[in-house]
Amino acid sequence: MPKKKKSFHYEKLLKKWILKHKKLQKEIFETHQDVFDWFENNSKQLAVGSLAGVFMLTNPIVPKIPTAFSSNSAVLNQSIDKKVFLSYDLKNVLPQQVQPLTVQEEKNVSDILTRTYGIKVTPELNGIRLDTTYGVIGQEQHLARYPGDNMYVHFDSVSNAQSYFSYGMAPGLGGFGYFANSQSAMTKEEEDREKYYIAVQTFLAPGFYENKQEYLDFFKFRKMLVVNPQNGKAVIADIADAGPAPWTGKQLGGSPEVMTYLERYDGAQRGPVLYFFIDDPTNSVPLGPVGL
Amino acid sequence: MKTKHFYSYLIETSDIYLELGELDLTSEERVRLISIVDANIHSVVIKTVLSNLPAPDKKIFLKNLVSEDSDKIWEHLKKTTSDIENRIKKEIEELKKELYKDIQEVK
Repeated sequence: MPKKKKSFHYEKLLKKWILKHKKLQKEIFETHQDVFDWFENNSKQLAVGSLAGVFMLTNPIVPKIPTAFSSNSAVLNQSIDKKVFLSYDLKNVLPQQVQPLTVQEEKNVSDILTRTYGIKVTPELNGIRLDTTYGVIGQEQHLARYPGDNMYVHFDSVSNAQSYFSYGMAPGLGGFGYFANSQSAMTKEEEDREKYYIAVQTFLAPGFYENKQEYLDFFKFRKMLVVNPQNGKAVIADIADAGPAPWTGKQLGGSPEVMTYLERYDGAQRGPVLYFFIDDPTNSVPLGPVGL
Repeated sequence: MKTKHFYSYLIETSDIYLELGELDLTSEERVRLISIVDANIHSVVIKTVLSNLPAPDKKIFLKNLVSEDSDKIWEHLKKTTSDIENRIKKEIEELKKELYKDIQEVK
């Protein structure tokens, strides 16, 4: 019985969307035939390197669309599939509004994230928790990593500089000061701590003012899994700053690298993320994007 | 990792993917449908760009497209067309509405 229903949905959409695609391609080819003729005649000289680009543009008949996107489509498909399932799972357990989760919701989300990413996550560690695990993320600037760090020496490659220079550097230090004492003393881990940092509202954590030093020690560079629930993109980030102010309507901030990877934006397009502590006593989980 | 296109940052397809997630599909079926969504988006973007370019610039665009250099593509497009990002976004939104409607119809 379920098999029949499944086939019906699939067959109907497949037929409709392939037809739509063929129609679009036919229209493109007919309207711009001269330029495609030129392209085909000159393709050798153009050193064509894009399978997707060439296939999609020169073949109006699409017999097997998934292969048009990657020569390694099995791996690609698996990755898309996991993200789709994750988004779907999360949609079923998250409230419609971005708000603090209930204990049961946090448990459900922790289970899903732990199962999906293979990393043990938890809303509370050592008896400490933030005031929420589901909040709107805003854009932060780069942080100075050591005395003398500035925008002209901050990046390890030209492409990183091109991608992230425009975000600028925060005028003050991060909530825990410099990441290293000097440029020469900086390790890869310290470099990554700035690259993949988040700012969270440590000051709103229940019990913060009663146990301030204990909490600050706990939060300093504490690793969290940060997930965009709408696209399944996730990053292991560390807490390196406190903020944003509650009046901003945002609950946390992400470094330029974190925001870019998660495909989250500030301003009118801002959106929520999930952020849970990682139980990593041996410091074995590396900072950075998490693949699926 | 999903293939990145020069226009990837303009599109948000998670709502379509989530709708597909609500259908009773196998993972292979879902992935294949997602691929066709992407293929349709790709075609709509190419159609929009080509329709807004004069003939000589269409060739430059295709050359840039196969080089997969997004900066180069945008540099050229922004020099030769006006408001192309918004035009692309608008066309993608139109397509998404159609796809969304298609999903509702089979539910």
